[in-house]
Amino acid sequence: MNGDPRNIKRDAWRSWSFERRDFLLAGLGMAAAGAATLWLADPVTAATDITGTGLTQEFETAAKPALAGLTALAAEDVQNGGAAPFPIPWLDKNGSFNQAPGADQEPSNIFHFKGRVARANGFTGMGTDNRGRRIPFGTITTDYSFMQGEYWAGRTERRGAFTHT
Amino acid sequence: MNQFHDIHTPIAPNNLYWVTVIPQGALTVSADGRRATLAMRDVPVVDQPRWPARDTPTVPARLSFRVEWVATEEPVTYDDPLRQFRFTGWRASARLEAQVEVPSEGFRWQSDPLNTSSASFGIIGEEVNGRYFQL
Repeated sequence: MNGDPRNIKRDAWRSWSFERRDFLLAGLGMAAAGAATLWLADPVTAATDITGTGLTQEFETAAKPALAGLTALAAEDVQNGGAAPFPIPWLDKNGSFNQAPGADQEPSNIFHFKGRVARANGFTGMGTDNRGRRIPFGTITTDYSFMQGEYWAGRTERRGAFTHT
Repeated sequence: MNQFHDIHTPIAPNNLYWVTVIPQGALTVSADGRRATLAMRDVPVVDQPRWPARDTPTVPARLSFRVEWVATEEPVTYDDPLRQFRFTGWRASARLEAQVEVPSEGFRWQSDPLNTSSASFGIIGEEVNGRYFQL
């Protein structure tokens, strides 16, 4: 591991059989993992499309209900640009409009915002699946936030509450 | 050890990153702003087990979760004129409990109770950014 979290991620995927010590390292070092990242000791065959065929369609189908709230806002007051909030523009330097929470980092995930905010990351814990397997969750970038208050979109001030999950 | 589920909101077409709308009543913030609970049930999300790989398989999933933030006595102020944000609040402890369901795989998972989780970093407070930074 060379300190570049992307490489840590790649290294983790190369190995299908980590020791527990390695798991702790990987769990603490992973980057860009999700709101609920689950780990299992034994290899699991995840849904895989080796050819890549159909992945875009598959994503669009899966993402549609998850994006319904923002899609509805984007379609509202469309003649003025829609009511969906803006991402933080200068985060484009990351190539993803995202960054991990931390000291002196922008807490909000939306721009032109005024209100209450909370953010946290590095969630870790344990859980159990429907087969009774004990499965840990979380990485250093497992983060949640909320923004509640006023935001500017579609050429006017609006009120709303949003979460990064 | 293998990451085999990565549950999150998808990136929106306008590049909002894993952001979703909080429904009415899901967020409770104390009057003094020092404690907050966000609880959402059956949130439509996606499972991308190979995230952050590009062009990774994606299946629909549902996420229910409760997050609690509680302010500590440590005040925090970030003021960044260059990036146009100002935050005033406190460091916070945070805990999470969650349930995940991936119907296409018949997979369900539930975390242990809230008080068994931990977070390495948390803040809670008030912020202005963008056009509100100058007002």
